[in-house]
Amino acid sequence: MEAVRVENVTKRYGQVTAVSGLDLVVRKGSLFGLLGPNGAGKTTTLRMLLRMLVPDEGNIQLFGEPLTDNSQNLTGYLPEERGLYPRMKVRDNLVFLASLKGISEAEARIRAHSWLERLELGKWADHKVIDLSKGMQQKVQFIAAIIHNPPLLILDEPFAGLDPVNATIVKDLMLGFKDQGTTVILSTHRMEQVEMMCESICLIHAGRKVLDGELKAIKKSYGKNTLRMEFEGDGNFLDLPGLIEKVNHYGEVVEAKLCPGADPQEILKLAIQRGVRVNRFELVEPPLNDIFIERVSQDHA
Amino acid sequence: MRKIWLVLKREYRAHVMTKSFVITTIAVPLVIVGMIVFQAFLNTSKPAHVERIAILDLSGNLGPSVADALTQKKLANGRPAFDVEEVVEKPADEQRVRQRLDERVRTKEIDGILLIPAGALSGKNPEFLVNNPGVFEVMDTLNQAVSQSLITERLRNQGIPAKALKSIVRDVDTQLVRVTAEGETEEKGQTFGVAIGMTVILYAALLMYGVATMRSVLEEKTGRVMEILVSSVKPIYFMAGKILGVAAVALTQFMIWVIAASLLAGYGIAMARSFNPSLTGITLHIPTSLLVYAVIYFEAGYLLFASLYAAVGAMVSSEQDAQQAQMPITLVVVAGFMMFGTVMRDPNSSLSIALSLFPFFSPILMILRIALQTPPFWQIALSLGLLAGTTVAVVYGAAKIYRVGVLMYGKRPSLVEVLRWLRYS
Repeated sequence: MEAVRVENVTKRYGQVTAVSGLDLVVRKGSLFGLLGPNGAGKTTTLRMLLRMLVPDEGNIQLFGEPLTDNSQNLTGYLPEERGLYPRMKVRDNLVFLASLKGISEAEARIRAHSWLERLELGKWADHKVIDLSKGMQQKVQFIAAIIHNPPLLILDEPFAGLDPVNATIVKDLMLGFKDQGTTVILSTHRMEQVEMMCESICLIHAGRKVLDGELKAIKKSYGKNTLRMEFEGDGNFLDLPGLIEKVNHYGEVVEAKLCPGADPQEILKLAIQRGVRVNRFELVEPPLNDIFIERVSQDHA
Repeated sequence: MRKIWLVLKREYRAHVMTKSFVITTIAVPLVIVGMIVFQAFLNTSKPAHVERIAILDLSGNLGPSVADALTQKKLANGRPAFDVEEVVEKPADEQRVRQRLDERVRTKEIDGILLIPAGALSGKNPEFLVNNPGVFEVMDTLNQAVSQSLITERLRNQGIPAKALKSIVRDVDTQLVRVTAEGETEEKGQTFGVAIGMTVILYAALLMYGVATMRSVLEEKTGRVMEILVSSVKPIYFMAGKILGVAAVALTQFMIWVIAASLLAGYGIAMARSFNPSLTGITLHIPTSLLVYAVIYFEAGYLLFASLYAAVGAMVSSEQDAQQAQMPITLVVVAGFMMFGTVMRDPNSSLSIALSLFPFFSPILMILRIALQTPPFWQIALSLGLLAGTTVAVVYGAAKIYRVGVLMYGKRPSLVEVLRWLRYS
């Protein structure tokens, strides 16, 4: 079943078209990555799903129903620009935001308490938000997004500004929600996270969709056209026009994109001829990062 | 509806539980009382100045009677208004006496010389020679005293017996009585007091709470909490909850003030009566209809201006921009208040009627007219109709601006841009 269906949606701000003819389907219970460079229209798309903006054309359905005012209760949102009432107590912030999502205040109070305890913020419940560290505020913000158990969770750059410990906590929570059947939409530039977590992605650029589908299938369609190598010796041997298109150095590991039709065996042979000691030689699918850059720069051209 | 209520409740708590609410609740009445006391102090202390004068009588028979009439004129505090230091009648060397008196005026030994010309009885006007021409406040009293003596003298010359003169030439003190639908009430300025009080309170409240609404919106925007809010509540509901929340705060504050003021006034009147039992004449009569109208006009006016202020708060992203962008609205409120004098002088002139029908002025000016002299009902109904219509249109437009504006950050939008927002779906 579909959690989100976006059909031919267009949104303009005056002369600027932020999103143009976008189609999008998010399967229920999946972890979906919405990718795109800055200004691609990611935030506008999310805001339309959240009914903060109304599309100029096209229509949007959540869980098979057209968007109404009540559908705001189905979504939880972690905006990229974090914000809570700074001079209100942590607990009051959570109770207010939860009650706006249709939870009774008594129930909201119980849930706020248990979530704060779970994220080790219990003793901060009666402090003003302004007294909390940035990391703690981020966690409170995350609680605000999920406190009403929304079936659709929309997270805009959820790991920005979190230290590794808190990033792991948030990641585990997110995956936990997914396991319970919550649909999660993740919007980010951080490709390695998407690569590790998301099942499906949509890449948009300049308001248009350039690529979408299941991550595995997308990668497969590119084929195993990338060599991942670890070696000792002079790296210049990889300068092989006709065989290797592009090389990315990641310290120990080197990734080399093969030219179409090139035989990796040729490269291995050349490496041994040059006296390079090969510790790892693996043919892999291209990293998402490369796909992203390739598709976006193609789109520019 | 439930969401409006939740927003209202949060807004109310956030305002009422602040130090600034407690401070304004206490400080505003203190400032008002302070101003009244200061005014009263000025009033009692200023006229304590007695005009010291000399009378130079060239007619030869009016001096003492004028001097007598002058010294009988009393100030508000019961002291004589004039101190006649010397009376010179028909001096042999007029030139020298005049020089000497002029000198006394110049050295400020005396405040002025009342010169009664020889032909005073046959209609020649007296002169008052002063160094400081700011004495026009006493001119009425002076004129009264001199005319009284002249009339007495003329009547005496006609052969009216001296005994009868006193009862013929007697001062009157006309009492002001106000005729209203409820009958006649003796007027000692309380109608003006009520009218001015009401108008000033409405004016101050519109500005104070309008700006409070704006800042509250701005705070949510700069604190970025707006993004979450708009993902949970329709902006129009949110704006409604917020405006009503601030209105509830205003109402709370007024209730505190009204209760405190009536307790104090009751106590004050009781205290005053215990010292002076005859003090029963002064009744502060505020008709219920006036209070009801005041509430209606305040609510409508507040809704009108608060939506404009809320739209401004949503339009801008910083306090400085807000200060600039709110100016036009504040100017409209101030302009309405500035028309105060015009309407007060002649509440039924066509200018006053037009001003009090104009929806952006009517919350202040129609209440002033109702307090002074209740206008025909059709005018009240028309002004309320216009006000309601404008309010609905403005709230609608403001909600649209609000909806687009709350998600826009950065540069302050131009007027053209804001007008374009109105057309967004």
